[in-house]
Amino acid sequence: MLFGASLLEDSSQESLTDEAYFFEDLLETPATSSTLTSPQLLESPIAGKSLENALRLNEDALMLDAGQPQFTGADELLDAVQGPQPIVRDRDWVIARIESIFEGIVDALLEKKTKLSITLSCRSGTAGRTFDSANGIVTTATGLQTREITFPGSTAQEAWRFTVLVRILEIIHDALIADVIVTKRDIYYRHPDLFVKQAVVDRYVDDLACTFGVSRTFLNVSAAAKGLVAGNFTIQRADGSQINGLKDREGLLVPNLHSSDTIDMSNVQWILLVEKEATFRSLVHSDFWILLSSQGVILTAKGYPDLSTRIFLSYLTSRSSHIPTYAIVDYDPDGLAILSTYKHGSYALAHENSRATSGSAGGRQLNLPRLQWVGVRSHHLQPPASADNVCAERDTRQTQGLMKLTRRDRCKARRMLEREAFVEDGVEAEWRSELQIMLMLNIKAEMQIFEERQGGLGFWLMEALEPSAKPPREGLDDERVRQA
Amino acid sequence: MSKQYLTLHTIDNAHPTDIFALAPTKTALLSASGSSTIRIYATNAPDFPLTQKLEGAHKLGVHHLVTSKDGQRAASAGFEGKVKIWGVEGNQEKTESGTGGIWKAVGEISDSNKPGEIWAVALSADGAYLASTTYDGRINVWDLSAEGMPRIREYETKGSFGMCVDLSADGRFTASGHENGSVYVFNNDTGRMLHSLAGLVKPVRAVAFSPASKLLAAAGDARIIALYDVASGEQVANLSGHAGWVFSLGWSDTGEYLLSGSHDAKAKIWSIDTRTCVATHSHGDKPLWAVKWLPKTTRSEMFAVAGGTGAISFYREAAG
Repeated sequence: MLFGASLLEDSSQESLTDEAYFFEDLLETPATSSTLTSPQLLESPIAGKSLENALRLNEDALMLDAGQPQFTGADELLDAVQGPQPIVRDRDWVIARIESIFEGIVDALLEKKTKLSITLSCRSGTAGRTFDSANGIVTTATGLQTREITFPGSTAQEAWRFTVLVRILEIIHDALIADVIVTKRDIYYRHPDLFVKQAVVDRYVDDLACTFGVSRTFLNVSAAAKGLVAGNFTIQRADGSQINGLKDREGLLVPNLHSSDTIDMSNVQWILLVEKEATFRSLVHSDFWILLSSQGVILTAKGYPDLSTRIFLSYLTSRSSHIPTYAIVDYDPDGLAILSTYKHGSYALAHENSRATSGSAGGRQLNLPRLQWVGVRSHHLQPPASADNVCAERDTRQTQGLMKLTRRDRCKARRMLEREAFVEDGVEAEWRSELQIMLMLNIKAEMQIFEERQGGLGFWLMEALEPSAKPPREGLDDERVRQA
Repeated sequence: MSKQYLTLHTIDNAHPTDIFALAPTKTALLSASGSSTIRIYATNAPDFPLTQKLEGAHKLGVHHLVTSKDGQRAASAGFEGKVKIWGVEGNQEKTESGTGGIWKAVGEISDSNKPGEIWAVALSADGAYLASTTYDGRINVWDLSAEGMPRIREYETKGSFGMCVDLSADGRFTASGHENGSVYVFNNDTGRMLHSLAGLVKPVRAVAFSPASKLLAAAGDARIIALYDVASGEQVANLSGHAGWVFSLGWSDTGEYLLSGSHDAKAKIWSIDTRTCVATHSHGDKPLWAVKWLPKTTRSEMFAVAGGTGAISFYREAAG
């Protein structure tokens, strides 16, 4: 199940960042659509319940705020709310926004309007997103496109979308009122028949966060943890409990952090991001980790980084700005795109970064501006040969980790050369050069190629991290022996 | 037997990033890199000065650049998928002032060219035809003298990425090298495949006809240079010695010597007569993407090499 969830998460994230995001491609027509008609939907238990709940939730608000104008435009609403005071988009603010949507629906019903509608900001394409090169981060700008979700729509599917959206808003509202965290998975399993698949929920939750201009965490929604972390850190919770990063040799799921938590990283000298779970697991079981675990933290998001992992990393690095952060990704366009997401943010979740410009107290940039890419790079593809008689053998083994680019790889690399971080004279001239070399060679490589070297990946990493890796102090040796 | 070559000059920072291609004329060397600008250096002045920059030639950088043997025309291929044709105006032969004429864009390949389709390019000796390879292994030929530069021919192979292409100086043959190690020779008069050459089982990254069009050299990830007889298709030699993938090949003016450049930054010169390596030069520690003999205009023949360092180095045969 975790594997399935992980695939969904990866697929959704990658799809959003890779290519034009077509709504219909992601949301297949539900099996029951042929039997859904407007009158039936209006009478259906789910839809009826949703509207009934909306009415109940807003009964008091309605009495107090009769005549509130209908919510028809995201920008319009945001502008209307704006007063002399700068907006603090906190939990109460989000609750008020959701309730104003419900009030709009109730008003429309009472006024017997022919259509109910909710406006969402679009996250597909790149309109309204910009690369802030001064800060090296992808963020939102003015001009985000919007779209209306209406009921009854022109099709049964449109009516279904409206129902899905209202139900998700209701669940988020309940979570905020009760101040409990729900995962996207939780939301999906409330009504799997209605939502059809996890990606539907994932998409709408992030669309709502973007529409409201807040982080998903402000909706009290999190993705199920998928990142793994291990290393010499300790998190102290307000309730007295403690998380020790070295407790489990397999690594821990990336913890959700609260503002009341404190973290001790006093012995950490480096942080290493690893693209693949398999590599993470082989590292924490290797001699490399026995030698260096007392002075480092390693982490994997299993491909494209999820929001929880990026929040955790942002937390670690903001409390230890002197500690270098390194990344090892495959030598292929996806590897560089993953690297870019860690360092600069992603287009699909650009609104998560824009909170930096709003200056909200709880805000935290999710990019890692000091992230350093240690490999895999083009010069690792063919180590210098020492003697001719071993060349052939080495070459044979060396090519096991090398593959030719697919057509998709080549198209992706070419598109990336046009993107802000990679443009000529952009902030990542070196990455741009590596993409071009990749196209010249028509070769990609997995980080497993380092296993073919003497000592394997762990040994190579020790050399790569050498400026930061120092022999552990004698006292720590004793402590580690006792723990073992 | 060995041969001595002297380092004449190195242009450090000739380009801000990897230089992927060199294309000589009698008086100048055109160079292309990951930068969007093509830079042209005079080769008839002692310090090889920069004489022209073709700014913004290809927005995403340039991966291939060729000149015709007559030096009147050039073609460049960019990572964004376009191919541009350049022509030179002014006196090519002027030597005193160091100017070799001004290069200008004269056209672009648009007929039958889908984005990302064109990879390697070659020009005929008179600059009238352009040959190029595609990702799916086809070789297309365009007539640059006709209105609109139409595509006039398409050779099909077995679908393996066409990584390199060359046209023989006599105009009769086209050769292509592919990802799967295949090398093909086509007869341009009949429009048919003449040979399918075996011998290299790894990506072929360079093919080059000898000046008299009698031999074809091919090389790539197998790290050997295969020599084939063009008429019979037989392999007549294997040149071994490179420790890295071979990226570039160039024939000397008379066809006596073959120049090769490799991933491990070595340039080697091979005697065709003795089938041996007669000189090796190391050019730093980054790949040598391009090595070229310059047209012989003095008693000593010169060659140029460039790659990941962003520098261009010129070597001259030692007098003797």
